[in-house]
Amino acid sequence: MISLSQKKGNWLPYLLFLPALLYLAGFVGYPLVKTFQLVFTSEKGDIGLANFITLTQDPIFWKALKNTLYLLIVIVPLQVILAFLLALFVNSRFKGYMIVLYIICIPLALSDVSAALMSYNIFSSHGFLNKILINSGLIETPFYFFGLGLSSRSFWVVVLTELWRATPLVFVILLAGLQVISKEYFEAADVFGFSSWQKFFHITLPLTMPSLQSALLIRTLFAFQIFGVVWLLSGRDIPVLAGEVYYQQAELSNFRIAATYGFIIALICILISWIYLTFLKTKHLEV
Amino acid sequence: MLKKLVVLLLLCMLLTTSVYAQEALNFASTQMVPAAEQLFAKSVLLKGFTDDSGINVEFIPMEYPDLFTRLTAEVFAKKVTISLIGELHGGLDLMNTNGLLDDLSGITLPDRTFIKSLADYSILGDKKIYVPWMQATFVMAINKKAFQYLPEGLKIEDITGASAKWTYEALLNWSKKLNEEFKVPKLGFPMGPKGLWHRFLHGSIYPSFTGYQAAAFDSVRAVQLWEYLKELRPYIHPSSSVWESMDEPLLKEEVLIAWDHTARIKNAVIEKPEDFAIVPCPRGPQGRGYITVAVGLAIPTGAPQRDNAVKLIDYLTSPAIQVKMLENIGFFPTIQEAEGVIPEGALKVLTNGVLTQSGAPDSIISMIPSLGAKAGEFSAAYRDAFTRIVVEGADINTTITSLADKLRAIFKEIGVPLV
Repeated sequence: MISLSQKKGNWLPYLLFLPALLYLAGFVGYPLVKTFQLVFTSEKGDIGLANFITLTQDPIFWKALKNTLYLLIVIVPLQVILAFLLALFVNSRFKGYMIVLYIICIPLALSDVSAALMSYNIFSSHGFLNKILINSGLIETPFYFFGLGLSSRSFWVVVLTELWRATPLVFVILLAGLQVISKEYFEAADVFGFSSWQKFFHITLPLTMPSLQSALLIRTLFAFQIFGVVWLLSGRDIPVLAGEVYYQQAELSNFRIAATYGFIIALICILISWIYLTFLKTKHLEV
Repeated sequence: MLKKLVVLLLLCMLLTTSVYAQEALNFASTQMVPAAEQLFAKSVLLKGFTDDSGINVEFIPMEYPDLFTRLTAEVFAKKVTISLIGELHGGLDLMNTNGLLDDLSGITLPDRTFIKSLADYSILGDKKIYVPWMQATFVMAINKKAFQYLPEGLKIEDITGASAKWTYEALLNWSKKLNEEFKVPKLGFPMGPKGLWHRFLHGSIYPSFTGYQAAAFDSVRAVQLWEYLKELRPYIHPSSSVWESMDEPLLKEEVLIAWDHTARIKNAVIEKPEDFAIVPCPRGPQGRGYITVAVGLAIPTGAPQRDNAVKLIDYLTSPAIQVKMLENIGFFPTIQEAEGVIPEGALKVLTNGVLTQSGAPDSIISMIPSLGAKAGEFSAAYRDAFTRIVVEGADINTTITSLADKLRAIFKEIGVPLV
């Protein structure tokens, strides 16, 4: 026979996670179901792929996809290389390395909008950079880094801004990975007479692979959400997938197409995560 | 004794309620809905009216669909409780089409001259459906430095006075001259994603060149317009594509000539009233096109307290109150007499420009079409046309023909006549 207190005990764990469950069902589950509904229902109410057909017939979709992939291909490798170099540098624990660590991490506190506005103040025709160049007599008239019909230049300003803003995130993950590598491995390597390169390729790199995998995954997924910086620095001159979600939803009130854009971003993210998790699996952890 | 007292109390309550119901005039408005503006409407604007006339006014801020539904029900049930309506031109037009509004032709408001273009727009057929109450519009802001580089044949007075010489051709020549002088483009538009650039395209330049906002989208005259914009393009500041309002670029002197909504230029003029002139938009071959957001005061069919409603209209369109509204909610006067009451300074600079524009005899006033959920697609068509033709160099005819079909489909779907 089960006593009342035992019964109560059985229910208690469920009761405790009920609020979280209700929250998730209401704020994640319900919108997700509605999004699916929007994605697969046409304006006339027919169920099917009509929204995907409309979307793929719009040249802006292909431009947005191309730009997002370009940004991803340029930004992510650069960020990872830069962050790795910075992490190795800080991990060498030179005198005053903590100050350098803090300076590198400053952009972590910035939102993408703030970073874009700071970038605008540097690169605009009346910005700091143009002022320096004009005052030093290097140029007579301002050099336009972004603006009407200058999307290829804006692209590089976006890349620079993103590098500055988001590299610290990769840096922090990689530094954490480097800090947990036991010194004993390096001491043993010294005994066997390993060179610095050998130590890097045979000890540092394999042991930071889990961190590298996380950093790559996070950055790649974040790259698909890139929006604020591009939006503020180039308007819709450089359409990107996440920007189109906002544009279709907020500006055109085209909820179905916005949801379809969102759905496609989610699909790409799932695919990329699967690729990363499958092909970058760290073998030494399976032992 | 107690029974008597209760009956007496009930009688008193009924009497008070009925007296109050008779006295309170219901003024339903889709304007001044935000909390701060409601406070201004109730505690300043209408309180002043009640103090002067002794007539109580119940201010009812409402969204348009609610107002339309309520008024339709009241008019058809012949139990109208709303005495006065404050709404945009488009909304009042629709109410009138549904037989909800009274003819205001008989109303005379002494000592005020309504701006002709606005007064003309308030008359539909033979019926005056509203009295122009307030307006907002899009104008050009000029840094006075630019006046030193006027092209040949163009004088400052031509621009500030909206003469026939203040044309798009003159704007092009002026921009060219400024470019030669400063070595950078000095003309700017709010082309950023949140900027109102599309309003310039459909509400200003399209009517100026073709006479219509969308009806002649793919006409021969429209081809001339796009050729003009291609010619103007090198003189438009490249950063225009990220600007959402023109006050900052004007203050930083990134541009010397800018076009935008009055509310989005206001800050520059308030900060440096001596540096800027607000002038009308230029004219094109068909006239001077510009958007006006006209707000009118209308009386519903069978409205109670009609005489009191007229008194309230009289009060709300008086010069002092018009200036008070400009100072508090940023809407401009609709009567010429207000110009004399506005104190010197930024508001005067802004109002002069707005009143000169709305008083220009060659005005082609554009009202933003009521396209509901399709409004975004309508705006996007104009922006897309500019990007494709002017920025990317696509063929004019092919582009405007394909987009014209899209535009016509939008109007057809919503059931709004092509403007």
